[in-house]
Amino acid sequence: MGRGYIVQDDVEGYLSKLCEQKADPVTGLLIGQSSTQRDFVVMAIRTPQKEESAAAARNSVDKEWVTEHARQVSRMLPGGLSVVGVFIITDADAKDALTTLRQLLFAVENLISSEHLWDPADDDVTDCVTLQINPKTRKTVCRTFDIKDPKSVAKPADWKYQSGLCSSWATVSCSLNVDMLLPLPNNRTSTGNMEECLKEGLKAWAHQIECGLCLIDGKRLPEDSELTVIQRRNLRQTYTAQLLITTENKRLTDVIQQCGGSVSVTGAIHSRAYLHSNKPKARQAEKLLKRDVVSTVATRVQMMLEELLASDQESKGSCRDKQQKELFCLPHRIFCPLKVSGPLCVCDYQFSDEDLSEVPERLKEMLDIDAAEEDLDTRQEMTVEITGCDVTPEPTQEKVEAPDHKKNYIGVAMATAVALLATAASMLYLNDI
Amino acid sequence: MVVVDSESATILRVKGLLEFRCQLDSTDEQLVRNAISRTFETLRSQVKSESCVLAVSDSPVIIWPNKDAYATPEEITPSTPCEDMHQWIQADEQETSGKKSSKKKSKKSSLASVINLRLMTEVTKPGPLSAPILTKTVLKSHFVSVTLPLDCVVRTGSSDTIKDACEQLIEALTHQLCEMEKVTLQNMKGMTLLVPEPVHFLLPEPKGLVTVVYPAGVPDSQLVTQRKELHQQFDLPDDRPYFRRANAYHFPNEPYKDGYLRNPHLALTHPTLDNGKVYLVQGIYSYHHYMQNRVDDNGWGCAYRSLQTICSWFQQQGYVERPVPTHKEIQQALVDVGDKQASFVGSRQWIGSIEVQAVLSHLLGLTSKILFVSQGAELASKGRELANHFLTEGTPVMIGGGVLAHTILGVAWSETTGQIRYLILDPHYTGAEDLQVITDKGWCGWKGPDFWDQTAYYNLCLPQRPKVI
Repeated sequence: MGRGYIVQDDVEGYLSKLCEQKADPVTGLLIGQSSTQRDFVVMAIRTPQKEESAAAARNSVDKEWVTEHARQVSRMLPGGLSVVGVFIITDADAKDALTTLRQLLFAVENLISSEHLWDPADDDVTDCVTLQINPKTRKTVCRTFDIKDPKSVAKPADWKYQSGLCSSWATVSCSLNVDMLLPLPNNRTSTGNMEECLKEGLKAWAHQIECGLCLIDGKRLPEDSELTVIQRRNLRQTYTAQLLITTENKRLTDVIQQCGGSVSVTGAIHSRAYLHSNKPKARQAEKLLKRDVVSTVATRVQMMLEELLASDQESKGSCRDKQQKELFCLPHRIFCPLKVSGPLCVCDYQFSDEDLSEVPERLKEMLDIDAAEEDLDTRQEMTVEITGCDVTPEPTQEKVEAPDHKKNYIGVAMATAVALLATAASMLYLNDI
Repeated sequence: MVVVDSESATILRVKGLLEFRCQLDSTDEQLVRNAISRTFETLRSQVKSESCVLAVSDSPVIIWPNKDAYATPEEITPSTPCEDMHQWIQADEQETSGKKSSKKKSKKSSLASVINLRLMTEVTKPGPLSAPILTKTVLKSHFVSVTLPLDCVVRTGSSDTIKDACEQLIEALTHQLCEMEKVTLQNMKGMTLLVPEPVHFLLPEPKGLVTVVYPAGVPDSQLVTQRKELHQQFDLPDDRPYFRRANAYHFPNEPYKDGYLRNPHLALTHPTLDNGKVYLVQGIYSYHHYMQNRVDDNGWGCAYRSLQTICSWFQQQGYVERPVPTHKEIQQALVDVGDKQASFVGSRQWIGSIEVQAVLSHLLGLTSKILFVSQGAELASKGRELANHFLTEGTPVMIGGGVLAHTILGVAWSETTGQIRYLILDPHYTGAEDLQVITDKGWCGWKGPDFWDQTAYYNLCLPQRPKVI
């Protein structure tokens, strides 16, 4: 018995429009939520055009490009929403198309999960969906693969459109303080070293969050209970979560060690997770919210590191004795509601030196959604006013020198991301399935 | 030091780990001390802040002590009496979401009942809040990273509410952080730092439970000055230890890791004699008997086991750090002092009170008195001596005679009638560490004068306490 995907009916219209385009093949991502009971798809996003690509190249699938797009999109999805599959619109041979889809799916899912700072849970669904559409006949072929199993074969799955799918989802959210202080190693502190430290520190902090106690609307619920137990008359189904953590005793390092400095991350983030309203379980709400907490902090730190690397900022070796202190504002989170009715939002991160108008541009490029500045919800997090210190990674002259920085986010992001993830990325493609 | 007196009331014990982290900009001693003090001050503020949370172990109860003792579940209010918390605690490990149906009291112990709490931090706060800032400081320096093991004990009276308890707990935690700061600064040598560790001690009535912060890793032998001060502060005799690490109070709900039974005699009802009094061993010993540790000494090892029980007493009262010796180690000690030939080691030869005395002296540095009776019947007349021994020394006594060895843990003796009973711990038991069986079947039990072979001669080894703190 295969899986059954229930799909927001807007997606049908979106895919239809893509079929009418001249380009072949068209690839893209499918966004939704998979649980042991049901699978939902709320959105489809075409892979953005690569600007510099030659005409010939447009007719083939660029695996790296699709994968990088997926990674960027994944950062823009709050908890509960994730990349659940890939689609292709092509009139090529069905078997070839399926092979391509399989390769894309595994590459995408492996890259996204390699960035996770949490361990997979027993109740995680590891099946992902591939959708193949013939643009002329509009025939769709829907298959799933188990991405945990590299030898997985295609299994048939149902693909059913439904209206009003997004209207009744539950939202669990919280604002959470982060307070990390980490030592830098005692050698030349380049950005690369800071990255190592932050990764380790984030992993330890992520573990604390994962083991933390979760209260929903002030109550500690048994794991198998349903969320709706708390608020019988809450039509909007919004819940506030609280997280309580403890420290674990880890005597790994000496009490006092030499270091080359320190890096700290302090401040608060707004975290959110969506659950489909069909009897959402407290355990799943807790899991999805905790994952969003961890990934929103990790994403921002990663984005900051990518910015620093892109602007090629290295600490000046000669001034090592004098204390050098630099402050960087991590980007803050902005939410944008999806056009379909219901509480679902996507999100983006805005650096303090960016104009708000850049956000709708990015949303269009990455997620192919049309949003106006007025639609954006900027109230969840406040920006910090810092005076007298470096707020941005580089002084303004850098912006003039790199005009591409604003327009082709995915291109620049990809270049730096690949530099940082060089080993990981090459490993993925070496093991081409 | 937090002093808790122990009438039967509820004892609240809060444990938790706090991360102590700071960067030391310089190695100048004063600046380092300032940085450490500042970090302790930050931790104290954290404990007094609204993000400090106390979770009652094995229960769904969570309390915010600095938010006017707000608690969840909602049935618990700031004015709820502390004792009511017992109703919410389940003995088994399962998560619970409600009250127990019956008011089952937790296992009765000699001290008041203990409620354990975990110190937690709430990281969520109502938003919106400021987005995070990453600060990078580049400077060749030092980084301090310690996990402080907070462990506080507070006694609440029967009329105390949750709110009262919270005030006391927060005060205890803050106070302990001050103590930890003191101990940390006292024990700083250059760029090394010792972790401060709290230890609880049960002092004689009415002083009760007392908490002392010791620097980790410093052996008892180097803490004599601290102990002297403590003895003075609490007006304790200066010839027996109360504050060695081995004297730490063992909380009733904590199991012993080594699996031995402790003080099985406490489960017995003591005999009442006309004008008689009961004189018992003081402190804690472990029950050693045949077949333990996979040593099959059935039939020959009884005196060895009695000796092990005695050694366990000295170890747990803090007089020695050496673990309880094995049969071979006991035999080797006798060879070393020239009492036995080398072939003795590994044999199944019996030993007697004289050998016990020799081993206690050679391995543990202890002196013992030997008491001799030419006939078992005479033991009945040794009531006064035995009573005195338990009053002043309070150590277990090894008795050997006939073909058997036993341990005497106490006497019930009447000065006027001469009636006497002996509290015997029998090393000939071969079964498992089952308190029920051991007490029911008399392996630890009160015996009359006819327990002894009336015609055999007996030697008793009465170990003496060293006069140290």
